[in-house]
Amino acid sequence: MRVVIAEDSAILRDGLVHLLADRGHEAVAAVGDGDALRAAVATHEPDVCIVDIRMPPSFTDEGLRAAIALRREHPDVGVLVFSQYIETRYATELLAGSGAGGVGYLLKDRVADVREFIEALTRVAGGGTALDPEVVAQLLGSSGRTDVLAGLTPREREVLEQMAAGRSNSGIAAALVVTDRAVEKHVANIFMKLGLPPSEGENRRVLAVLRYLES
Amino acid sequence: MSDSPTFAGALFAPRTWREFLYALIGLPLGIAGFVFTVTTFAVSAGLAVTFIGLPLLALTGLGARWFGYGLRELSNSLSGTAVPPPAPFRAHPGLLGWIGSGLQDGTAWRARLYLLLKLPTGIIGFAAAMAFMAYGLAGATYWIWRPFLPCNTSTDGVCHRGAGLYNDVYLDTFWGVALTAVVGVVLLLLAPWVLHGVLTIDRLLVRVLLGPTASAERVQELEQSRAQAVDDSASTLRRIERDLHDGTQARLVALAMNVGLAKEKLAEGGDSAEARQLLDTAHTTAKEAIVELRDLARGIHPPVLDAGLDSALATLAARSAVPVDLRTSISARPSPAIETIAYFCAAELLTNVAKHSAAHHASVDVRTAAGVLRLQVSDDGHGGARVGAGSGLSGLADRVRTVDGRLSVDSPEGGPTVVTVELPLQSTRVG
Repeated sequence: MRVVIAEDSAILRDGLVHLLADRGHEAVAAVGDGDALRAAVATHEPDVCIVDIRMPPSFTDEGLRAAIALRREHPDVGVLVFSQYIETRYATELLAGSGAGGVGYLLKDRVADVREFIEALTRVAGGGTALDPEVVAQLLGSSGRTDVLAGLTPREREVLEQMAAGRSNSGIAAALVVTDRAVEKHVANIFMKLGLPPSEGENRRVLAVLRYLES
Repeated sequence: MSDSPTFAGALFAPRTWREFLYALIGLPLGIAGFVFTVTTFAVSAGLAVTFIGLPLLALTGLGARWFGYGLRELSNSLSGTAVPPPAPFRAHPGLLGWIGSGLQDGTAWRARLYLLLKLPTGIIGFAAAMAFMAYGLAGATYWIWRPFLPCNTSTDGVCHRGAGLYNDVYLDTFWGVALTAVVGVVLLLLAPWVLHGVLTIDRLLVRVLLGPTASAERVQELEQSRAQAVDDSASTLRRIERDLHDGTQARLVALAMNVGLAKEKLAEGGDSAEARQLLDTAHTTAKEAIVELRDLARGIHPPVLDAGLDSALATLAARSAVPVDLRTSISARPSPAIETIAYFCAAELLTNVAKHSAAHHASVDVRTAAGVLRLQVSDDGHGGARVGAGSGLSGLADRVRTVDGRLSVDSPEGGPTVVTVELPLQSTRVG
């Protein structure tokens, strides 16, 4: 993968560059603010970029603004937003923005599990989704549709969270230690209970769920 | 007044013409204010036996307030006072509460008193303005317009074109005209000073009767310092969050990243030297994070402060970059908030000494006496320290003010610098 990194903390930026190189990926640019990020993406056309939310000059949400703009301007570039905190508003803004490419929102802690982090990054680069379990929990919790969600069994809720995190059916089966067949049954039940017609693409499935949660 | 003119130049100074205008309109305003106050009071008192008397008195009190407000503004713009507005009217809830508050409104009663006194002061001001300005102008220009006066025939039948004084004495000789002109000029030259002097009484009344009372000023001061304290703690929290986010949190993430990568390496059974290097980096980062957290924690509350201000200051003095001579004489223990403020003042002042003063030696002297903690930090540096907007010293002064303390700086160019902080021993006053 060719990756652009936008992170204002030098120690983390260097760490990410090293980590990607070690795992056989190329960090084509590592920058420290939103404007430089947009310029770097335009120049290098990477597969995916890793974007810190809080960057200079205002240290509030310029990373998020840049990420939303990138999804609009470069629909084919995956955007993985990377932050110390999970803010529900940021997650919904990011997901509500246009863009057919992959999108992700992870806590910075997740980089500690190198393999999972690289998997998530690869998924986003390939047009998929990677949402932190925290994001999913907050979206589920903050959704005004708790009455409908209350109709789900605890198991179905777990499956829904895994789905929202971007996992495929077999991935969910592995994570929850159940059979693929059981997961398919749960997913069908969830769609039925939420009134959603099942569709084929994994990404479309996640986005459908999320769009429903955001409403 | 900011503009203090020379003696002769005063006649043409803007101040004089503002005051002249003020004295002229002072008379009609004085009459209006007097009539307003007397009639409203008389009518209200006359109706006191009916149910509208007292409400009317409260309502006209509000009128007196507005009248006083306008006159205070006028005095500020023309007469050179700078009196802040009195506290706004605060009514108790309900109609009865409103009436009660109106009747007890000290500002309204003081405004009424001013309106009554404005009549005599307005007359005096008007008279002074007219006497000196008008007569002065007339006298100074007498020589121009005298020839056009109608004929005054004296008893001996001679025509005199000039003002008659008494018994056939007319100001139509050369010396008479000259004398009149001199008197006129003298009156004109004196006019600004007399007018300014006469209006002093009015200025005093405006200050005493139309401004805020001492207690209202105190409330305002407290409101300001409370706002400052709230802002101060909010910005402290923001700074701590920033330090944690940019420093310790980032280091811990980097640490986790390196350990995670090393773990992967070892699990893959690959190059153990590379894994060792990753762990080395992680180890260093962990130690840096610990130091950073310790400094941050000490910045929030130095633990040694619990053992007393003198112990905390001893540690502070020992850590200072400039040699510090510490003297403490703390007989009564201040409240924790005061100890914390005193400690951070000392810390900030010593940092300033090390950073800005180029001093070779500093001394810290802390003593308690008569319910006051006095902290004095002095150095032999090059001086020139100021409490300016945005400087560290003004931030300290603000913080000290939140507990009714005082900070003063004596720092002539060339040094030495002495900063004195005085704090009450207890952060809240009893009684």
